[in-house]
Amino acid sequence: MTSGELIIDLLLGCGAVVTAVLCLTAKDLFQAILLFISMGLLVTLAWVRLGAWDVAIAEAAIGAGLTGALLIATRRQLSQ
Amino acid sequence: MTQALAYSVFGIILFGIGLFGVLAIAHVVKKILAINICGVGVFMVFIANASSGASPDFVPHAMVLTGIVVAVAGTALALSLACRINALEKLEDDA
Repeated sequence: MTSGELIIDLLLGCGAVVTAVLCLTAKDLFQAILLFISMGLLVTLAWVRLGAWDVAIAEAAIGAGLTGALLIATRRQLSQ
Repeated sequence: MTQALAYSVFGIILFGIGLFGVLAIAHVVKKILAINICGVGVFMVFIANASSGASPDFVPHAMVLTGIVVAVAGTALALSLACRINALEKLEDDA
């Protein structure tokens, strides 16, 4: 555990937290959905750092991809 | 050890952000997003404590995989309910 690796961990964690805050404070719903997807991808990188490859793949496919698709479809139905 | 502690703290912070969002935001879809952020925080605490040893513990990994799938199913149910609420409100406005 060098200090460089710890800096990467802190950057990933702070990025996820900041993206979550921006996602909940966004005015536009589409902006919030895109920020939620990017938070999912940052958390995926965090799980690769923690050695959980299987969980990282599942999160990238399901947590970011499928949930994002569901949210965008719902937004389209709500706005029409 | 330091890595596990850092990610545990970030998971707790994410859970707090999500809980505040659920309680403070009126918009239904953003409430669902906040519940998902809560779930991500819980998963992060689990994975951080699983990887604190020399070799990672795979039982929390399996639990988190199951949790991701169940969270997507619950999100789909909640979003369909939000669509239904919106349709009924439109029906009331027309009547």
